[in-house]
Amino acid sequence: MTSMDRNERSAFRRRFGLHFGLIVVSAIVLLPPLWVLRTSFVPEHLSYSNELMPAFTTDNYSALLSSRFGQSYLNSLIVALGSVLLALPFAATTGYAFARFRTGGRWARFAVLATQMLPPVALVLPTFTLFRSLELSNSLTGLIIVYAALNLPFLTWILMGFFEGIPVDLEWAAMTDGATAWGAFWRIVLPVSLPGIAAAGVLGFILAWNEFLFALVLSGPATATIPVALAALQTSNGVQIAKVSAGVVLAILPLVVASRFIQRFIVQGLTFGSVK
Amino acid sequence: MASIELDRVSKLYGNGNYGVHEVDLTIPDGEFVIFLGPSGCGKSTTLRMIAGLESISSGDLRIGGKSVANVAPRDRNVAVVFQSYALYPHMSVRQNMAFGLKMRGTDAAVIDAKIADAANLLGLQNLLGRKPAALSGGQRQRVALGRAIVREPAAFLLDEPLSNLDAQLRAEMRLELVKLHRRLGRTIVHVTHDQVEAMTMGDRICIMRDGRLVQAGRPLEVYADPVNTFVARFLATPPMNLIPATLQAAPGEGLSVLTDSGAVLAVPARHRSAYGGRVGRRVILGVRAEDFHESPDKPDWQKVAVRVVAVEALGAENVLIGQIAGQPTGKDDTRPAGDDKPLEIAARLSRYFTAPVGSIVDLYIDPLPMHLFDPETELVIARPSLMGAVQ
Repeated sequence: MTSMDRNERSAFRRRFGLHFGLIVVSAIVLLPPLWVLRTSFVPEHLSYSNELMPAFTTDNYSALLSSRFGQSYLNSLIVALGSVLLALPFAATTGYAFARFRTGGRWARFAVLATQMLPPVALVLPTFTLFRSLELSNSLTGLIIVYAALNLPFLTWILMGFFEGIPVDLEWAAMTDGATAWGAFWRIVLPVSLPGIAAAGVLGFILAWNEFLFALVLSGPATATIPVALAALQTSNGVQIAKVSAGVVLAILPLVVASRFIQRFIVQGLTFGSVK
Repeated sequence: MASIELDRVSKLYGNGNYGVHEVDLTIPDGEFVIFLGPSGCGKSTTLRMIAGLESISSGDLRIGGKSVANVAPRDRNVAVVFQSYALYPHMSVRQNMAFGLKMRGTDAAVIDAKIADAANLLGLQNLLGRKPAALSGGQRQRVALGRAIVREPAAFLLDEPLSNLDAQLRAEMRLELVKLHRRLGRTIVHVTHDQVEAMTMGDRICIMRDGRLVQAGRPLEVYADPVNTFVARFLATPPMNLIPATLQAAPGEGLSVLTDSGAVLAVPARHRSAYGGRVGRRVILGVRAEDFHESPDKPDWQKVAVRVVAVEALGAENVLIGQIAGQPTGKDDTRPAGDDKPLEIAARLSRYFTAPVGSIVDLYIDPLPMHLFDPETELVIARPSLMGAVQ
């Protein structure tokens, strides 16, 4: 046996071991969601069966969508999109100020991040009291404001990193070309950092989409978001597992789409700056 | 009309360090001036202060006679070409070039005409629709120039615009820039660390070091009469040979230089009066590589024996690296203790010169262009310039 053979054999063994390990881990991660997908298409009374597919039905979905769940879906979309659209302009300008100017120094930067360290539970009751007196509880507007506020530090921080990666030469060129500092930001920096802003937007959307605690406290039956509506499927008659599964599948769907986008944008965003 | 006057301009950083220290310089309208120096010498900072992209800590800056210390970059009517080109990546070549005009509210038809002119001048006609990412380095460079040209600024500020190009393209663009300057007749401030660019392109070179302007003058003047050892070494490849030595009296009225390696070089008669006061003192002898010759073509050239360390064949010429052979005087106090590596000199010889490594060859020094420097201050010991003198 030559050393070449030995090398190839040990390389093969290493690769085989690596792939085997990855397959096992992937199965552990993927099986539960796949089982949820399976359960969502099985009639309620057969949902706990051990068979792979005892019967096929789409009743769970139609039942869900004809109930209040459909409204919740719309609520979640409005709240998640609205909060992102509200937060992004503030996050972009704040992030840019931190990235390019000596705004507030290092302490201000840290303070922005420090707000993220408060446990949400500590904020939810004061917010509830405040919003009730402002008549913002039980409204989508209230949720939009809360999510925008909660996501703002995080989005600011992401965009700050992104703006720091943009060569300052670009702004200098724009400023000698006749632009004001604001003009350089608006006409050059913003368009160039669109991938980063899109990535931040998608992240903010996902955070708002998944949020449960504030939604539970601040929404009512008409303004419930998906996480709240899903929780409501645990009734006194027990958990309607097939319906819950269908709800989970519907809830995940936009995130799967979004994650495709975010992947592309983040990769694009990372390579954009390297172009001379 | 745009003369640029720097009046004791300084840039002081928060940590108390000077980026630029009291630079005094007047650049007349239409001059092509080069800021030359090693990285970190303050040349780019000075350029950015002229552009208004960095504030001035003290002193005053005038463009066209008016103080612009508190004028925003967009109102200074200067155009900057950056080392990175800084093309707007999301805009086409045409949009890049139009940006500055648009910001100034220029009429669309005028913009089109100016872009067509500049594209013609720079050979960009077929690239106007492309994005910067789809251009080669040389093309980006030309677009960056075009973006500056269409604005017809009072002055062009070029921050190492050629340093990202390969050698051949750089040589071409050097010529292009010089031609462009002749055509446009505008003031150009060109920052570089490349001494070939400095020697060949500018009307005037300003050599900077540690934030200070060390010497300013016409390229050949600075080359012939450097004010100190830094300029002497910086402005040539290979750099000027700096040889520790002692100045001594020679028979008759004469003077000679005794190098620490034991070689003796008679000082030309026309330099005697300038150096006479330094007899017996330590000096640094400066001899340019091209002042070494293989054969005694002129009677006053002086023989020196050199041990060959290496011969670098560059094609057009051979550069000999060697050590001056002689009886060492043991006097070398200019180098740190423990550094006993023999001093190496570089000599620029013809391409036909060959010699085995380790052999000793006789070379002939043309003593007339020599310089003596003070080893303490590193300043040149002044002597009448040879510029304009007929040899």
